[in-house]
Formats: sequence, C-alpha cells, structure tokens
Amino acid sequence: MSADPNKLGIFVTSPQNMKHVLGVATAAVRAGRKVMVFFTFKAVHLTKHPDFVRLANLCELEEIAICADSYTCEGYDVEKDVPKGLVPRQMRTQAFHGGIIDECGKYLVL
Amino acid sequence: MESKKIFFLLPNRMYSGDAVRSTLGLSIENHFSYSVFMYGEFPKFSEYVKENIDWIRDMEGDVFTMGADAPEGIELTPITLEELGEKMREADFIIPYGLPKQSKTPPPACSEE
Amino acid sequence: MSDEQQMKILQVYRSEPTEDVKKLVEILNRDRDAKEFKLYDGDPNYDVLVQMIFEADQTVSWW
Repeated sequence: MSADPNKLGIFVTSPQNMKHVLGVATAAVRAGRKVMVFFTFKAVHLTKHPDFVRLANLCELEEIAICADSYTCEGYDVEKDVPKGLVPRQMRTQAFHGGIIDECGKYLVL
Repeated sequence: MESKKIFFLLPNRMYSGDAVRSTLGLSIENHFSYSVFMYGEFPKFSEYVKENIDWIRDMEGDVFTMGADAPEGIELTPITLEELGEKMREADFIIPYGLPKQSKTPPPACSEE
Repeated sequence: MSDEQQMKILQVYRSEPTEDVKKLVEILNRDRDAKEFKLYDGDPNYDVLVQMIFEADQTVSWW
C-alpha cells in the first residue's frame, strides 16, 4: 500500500497548538482531503481542551488517536477517563504514528 | 512498506526523553529513525531511555548530539548544525518535536541535578 | 540533480525562527523550490496553508 496523496497526517507533539490543529484539520476536510491525527506525550493534555471534541467529530473514528502510554504518564486514567469524543480503542500506541507515516501522502507536525 | 528516513529534533529536555521513545516507535515500524539531542537538552538517562537508544541503533537508526558533548557514560554520535542540515536533505520526514529550547535554566523544582 | 531541483519544500514556522533554524532551512532549501508559511503571524489562513501543504513534496513545521 502506498501513501494516499489526498490524506494529511498531523503529528501533535506540543500542548499549545490546539487552534492550529483544529484550524488545519477543518480546512483540510473543507478542501475534500482526508485527515489522520495522533497526539503524543504532553500533547495529550489537549484532549481536555473544549475544542477537542470538535476535532474528534471531524475525523473518522479510525483516523484519530492518542498515545495511551503518554496519557497514563501524564497522570490520567486510561480506562476511567477516556477523553470526550473518543472511544477506548482510540487509545493507541506509537504504531499509530507509523500508520500516519505509511498512509498519509502529506504530513504536518504541530 | 517502503522504509522512510525520519529525524526527530529535540531542543527541550522536558520532551527529549519521550521523543526517543517515539523515535524507537518508528524504528520498530521498519523506518530509519534518528533522534537529535540539541544544545545539551538531555533527558534523565534512565535504564529505559538508554535501552531505547541502544535499540534504535540496533534497528539501523542513530542518536545524535548537536551543540554539546554527550554526558559521561552515554554513547551519542556528535553532529554539527551543518552536518545535520546536509543529512536532513535526504530525510523523508523532519519532526521538530515538542517545544523549542527554554531560555531559562530550570529551577531546583524541576532540575535533574 | 534534477530530482533535487524539482523538489517542492514548505517551511512552516510556529514561532519566530532562531538563527539555527534559519541555517537549517537555508541548507534544506538549497536548489529546491521553497516556500514558507508563518503560523505565528496574526490570524493564519488555514485554507491557504492546507493548499500549500498539498502542493509541496515535503513540509517541515518548526517549533
């Protein structure tokens, strides 16, 4: 399988770019592109941002995930505190980032 | 799946340890994956971090240090800014990870000292 | 190298680039079709950014 040229992968590694993540994802969907997003390490705090649900609703269920280990390392309960907008199977590993690298023809770090 | 060449750039000590884990995550996915510690912004080198560094190397990646010597007992590959730039011309993905370098020295509350 | 000359690279800045970032960008942009987008400069036009990302072969988003 080769990367989809119509698909944008967003790797979120900073806890201060929610406006950009939502802005870019919304613009990409508006332009008819597909979006895949992964939040890692301290960026998982963005799941508590009021706009996170809007982002989650914008993406297909299999196209947005957070790093479960990061969520635990940052002090949250990965089982009892699944972020609003996500379901338990969207709590993933770094392999999801590997999926972005493989599947997305375009890529952005935020 | 084609193996890609991927550089993680780490100028902030609060993010550099986890970025090594993320680098290894892509090594395991069969990519050529590289961490670059910048300006001596090293994490605490726990056994876990040291093992991750060894594993990245075993998987044909590397872990560099730019702008500072490696701490004693930690094996890192020295690289200059210019060498890094030239190497990254061949990269498929460049990942400026986490936050930029801090301008202040960490206070005792969060210092590794 | 013809491949190098044709490569389209987009540099995205999330904050004012440091001297080291400028140096790295200079090396990365050499002999390439390079563009830039400042995310920190006022209210960014995300539609324009997305269009630029899809036109580029590679995007680097600096801190």
